[in-house]
Amino acid sequence: MKAIFWVAFFYINMIKYFTPFEKISKFQKTIILISWLVLLIVIWFATTAGEKHLFPSPGQVLKGFTELYKEGLVVHIFNSLQLCFISIFLATIISLLFAYTWPIPVLKSIAEFITKFRFLPFTGLSFYITMVIHEARTMQVWILVIFLTTFLTTSLIAVIKDIPQEEFDHAKMLKCNRWEVLWQVIILGRLDYVIDVIRQNLAITWMMLVTVESIVVASGGLGFLIKNSDKFMNTGRIIALQIIILLIGLGLDAGINFLRKAIFRYSKI
Amino acid sequence: MKHEYKETLLYVENLSVAYDNTVIIKDITLIEKDVVREGVHCTGQVIAFVGRSGRGKSTFFKALTGLVPTNSGKILIRDFENKEPNAAKSVKEGDIGFVDQKYTLFRHKTVTEALKFSLRKTDLSATEKDEKIKRYLKEWGLENCADKYPNELSGGQRQRTAIIEQLFSSDQFIVLDEPFSGLDVGNIEEVKKSFELLSNSSDFNTVIFSTHDIELAIELAQTIYVIGYPTINGKKEHYGTIVAKYDLRDMGMAWKEYCDDHQKLAKEIIHQMMIS
Repeated sequence: MKAIFWVAFFYINMIKYFTPFEKISKFQKTIILISWLVLLIVIWFATTAGEKHLFPSPGQVLKGFTELYKEGLVVHIFNSLQLCFISIFLATIISLLFAYTWPIPVLKSIAEFITKFRFLPFTGLSFYITMVIHEARTMQVWILVIFLTTFLTTSLIAVIKDIPQEEFDHAKMLKCNRWEVLWQVIILGRLDYVIDVIRQNLAITWMMLVTVESIVVASGGLGFLIKNSDKFMNTGRIIALQIIILLIGLGLDAGINFLRKAIFRYSKI
Repeated sequence: MKHEYKETLLYVENLSVAYDNTVIIKDITLIEKDVVREGVHCTGQVIAFVGRSGRGKSTFFKALTGLVPTNSGKILIRDFENKEPNAAKSVKEGDIGFVDQKYTLFRHKTVTEALKFSLRKTDLSATEKDEKIKRYLKEWGLENCADKYPNELSGGQRQRTAIIEQLFSSDQFIVLDEPFSGLDVGNIEEVKKSFELLSNSSDFNTVIFSTHDIELAIELAQTIYVIGYPTINGKKEHYGTIVAKYDLRDMGMAWKEYCDDHQKLAKEIIHQMMIS
């Protein structure tokens, strides 16, 4: 009797985890997340226990980490981050210029034309860039800046398009001329969105950065390390690097989000 | 209570607005004058516009405030900078304040910053501006909100900030598009108080609002206009215009407690709305 009671109790409690739109507590969410992680690790250990396996074992990945550290992983991470920040900074400045001039009729087409470039293949354009720029590091920076600008401009214009008409009318009602409307509603009023746009495009930046570093070899970086590991089929190192890249990306995402909330009290995106 | 009509504050003649050849409102004509009551220090004007959805109330408000261009007609308001009696000027963007249903404010400015911004074009000194802002914040119960951003304000606080902001910036005319929609009983009382504060602070303050709540319109306004589709030569037209006007002051029903006469008027207004 007691056993039936416990089975029924367990069943009732478990069924909600499999029912769509069912609400669960934060603690329950954490338990579910931990369970999935444990399951993933168990699968990883189990599938790489034998002699032949496609995926590297945890031991091999750990060895990869140690090797990478000895080869100056920290310096490579620093180089990648430096490239990332310089490119984002330049691309943001250029994209903001395009986005802020988008409401001006004569310049609207230029900004919209720039957004269409995001469909162009990466390698095709980088070929022309290599013809103009000869220094490897500068080349990396400008390849990234050009491609990032297209994505950032697209996102920034989308932010402007999403501003409700009431906000423009409100500024006009306070006797703002058209330039003041642009300054107050779009530039000052959406400053926090710029940081969020950077955050949203960070995944693309990070992905492109690693690719650019592996195509144009300059001062090392994570992409360079992947390419090197790839050459010698060192799968343990590759997975170790992927984990590092993922963790840095997530860290940057969280950091930028924290920065937005800390700087802009009014920001509730 | 005796009242007297003084100079003209708002003059609208044959106003028409069309979007892409579709006429939205046509031939709107109205005159609103300053009213003075015997024994009362200040009597602002409160004017209500009622009508069924889609009859052009919002378009009329946007035309009145200069937010949409008109196809014909003219809008004149009293020019308070000109001391000549009955001096008038054409309405430009910003002359008549406009508060929308969402009580839009600058999201990046605190209440004090927003009010300072709305006073930027006045001749007041920095100290006078600060004093004026402090006085209004106190009178309107916003003292604790001085350093708050719009996302930290309640609906009522947002609405009061939006009204003061427009009052500071405009020439004593404020248009409110459905200020009572979606508000609970408490917030409705707060808006009513705002109307009272506006009326009591200057004889020239003119509040124009739209609502679907006829009883509330009768309770607050001294003039009620019904906007609807007119019937001309037996044919119902499909553009909005004023189909009825009720001057509660002349009817002896303004500034009074709600009674049976008001109820009868509500029925009459609803009938007018239904047939137009």
